[in-house]
Amino acid sequence: MNAVEIRNLSKSFRGMYAVDNLSMTVPVGAIYGFIGENGSGKSTTEKLICGHLVPDKGEIKLFGKDFTDAGVRARVGALIESAGCFPNSSVWANLMMQALNLGLPNRAEEINRVLKIVRMEDNAALKFKSCSLGMKQRIGIAMALLGDPALLILDEPINGLDTDGMRIMREILVDITQNLGCTVLISSHILGELEKIATHYGILRQGKMIREISAREMDARAKVFVSLRTKDMQGAVKVLQKKFAGVRFEDEYIRVYDADDTEGLVRYLLANGHVVSEVKENKIGLAEYYIELMSEKEEA
Amino acid sequence: MENIRQVTFAQPSFFKRIKGMLGVDFYRLFHTPLLYIFLVIAALIPALVSMGGEGEATGMFTNVWQIIAANNPLYVISDMGEYANMNMVFIFGGIMVSIFIGHDYKSGYVKQLFTTHAKKQDYMISKTLLGAFSMACMCVTYLIGGVLSGAFTGLPFAVNAGSLLCAIVGKMIMSLGWASLYTFINIIFRSKFGISIALCFVLGTGIPVVGAAALIGNTPALNIFLYGSSVYACLSANFVSVIVCLACSGVWAVIYNVLGTLTLNKRDVY
Repeated sequence: MNAVEIRNLSKSFRGMYAVDNLSMTVPVGAIYGFIGENGSGKSTTEKLICGHLVPDKGEIKLFGKDFTDAGVRARVGALIESAGCFPNSSVWANLMMQALNLGLPNRAEEINRVLKIVRMEDNAALKFKSCSLGMKQRIGIAMALLGDPALLILDEPINGLDTDGMRIMREILVDITQNLGCTVLISSHILGELEKIATHYGILRQGKMIREISAREMDARAKVFVSLRTKDMQGAVKVLQKKFAGVRFEDEYIRVYDADDTEGLVRYLLANGHVVSEVKENKIGLAEYYIELMSEKEEA
Repeated sequence: MENIRQVTFAQPSFFKRIKGMLGVDFYRLFHTPLLYIFLVIAALIPALVSMGGEGEATGMFTNVWQIIAANNPLYVISDMGEYANMNMVFIFGGIMVSIFIGHDYKSGYVKQLFTTHAKKQDYMISKTLLGAFSMACMCVTYLIGGVLSGAFTGLPFAVNAGSLLCAIVGKMIMSLGWASLYTFINIIFRSKFGISIALCFVLGTGIPVVGAAALIGNTPALNIFLYGSSVYACLSANFVSVIVCLACSGVWAVIYNVLGTLTLNKRDVY
């Protein structure tokens, strides 16, 4: 069974498609990283799943049931854009209202549990408006965690946070994804952070899903490239380009993408009068994969 | 790092959903100053309309209970005294409902509600009941304020107690219809609650009904409107008046709830 299954989903605003015939699948238990540039349709898709927007067409199923099913919706938690709290009410009061809405039996206990997860147990009495951005995001996550959600939807939870805020948020996300056992759909621009927790990725561009890939698949398909330095970098690039197609000069290193044998590569350069001073084998990460995919699509 | 666990989905009943939604609304109502401010306003209105600058009667009323309701169902208003009675609660109630719902949208809390099991009809029903409850409470504080200011100004208390009771009960019943109208207006204008307040004020003052009465005359046919029935609950009211109020309020509450639910279902939440 899949936690989220979307078929041919479209949503337009004043004739412009924000989500265009999108299909995607999030397996149960996955931590699904939703990637795409600004305006690619990530937030719109998440809002559609949450029932905040009315789709033009298409089908959304959550755990095999229609996404409007009250039983399923009771087990969905979301942080979309902002926490959605009353600014003049305390953190505790805001959480209490959501606990009441969900009809939770042990409300105080449940609120304390989620406050502990987001490391806010000492700030429950604070008014929401007096919390920092990082705290507000954490309260938003606490709201989403109430009622033990089976599906957690987090829209850019790290964006706009300072270094310390990012560190705390990363720890919370790792805690949630590893210990709570819920399916997580998370969008973020910070691919390095996403790479550490995601098991699956969906890459969006202009409202369309251009690639869905699991972290395992990506790992298996990830190209290894060799980066090296020589005294005469320009000359070495010219020599390498005679033998290899994927040669680039990036970040003060020569990158060779289609070299199977690193030792042979070094020998080849030496034979052509270029002494290699530094050489290392690298694997393409999520960020490089994303950039490459985007440039491929742009060329197409 | 995949975490697969067995998940079950219990279907929440309509009553569980409504209980949850009402729980949120009433918690918020009693934990924020909004209701208390409006209860005080409702208690002060009779004093403001019945007393002069130095505590003397303004001459608009000849009996204390006219502060609560007019002697007869006068849809055409000829002087301020006929207008200034418990019906004013419905104007202030509209403002309160507008602020309450407007903040749901402005704070973004509405998205928290609709992400979970809450259905759009639950939202309409809950807000209508909340508005009705608040306005009914305002009717009570208005009544207290009216009696106190009437006593202070020395107006006579003589009245047909049965009719007075029918008038008060009728007006309190009308709170349901008014609350549904205000809820409907507010889910159209959402966070733009300035527009909602203005519209609630126009409709709450009964301007359309007063205008219609000026054209077609003082006819009970106007009881089909919320303001018409609210006027009908007067000091000559009887059991039939209460039934008329109940029917009018109930029918409009259903109409506005259906319209509101359809609007919410067709439109994006925010």
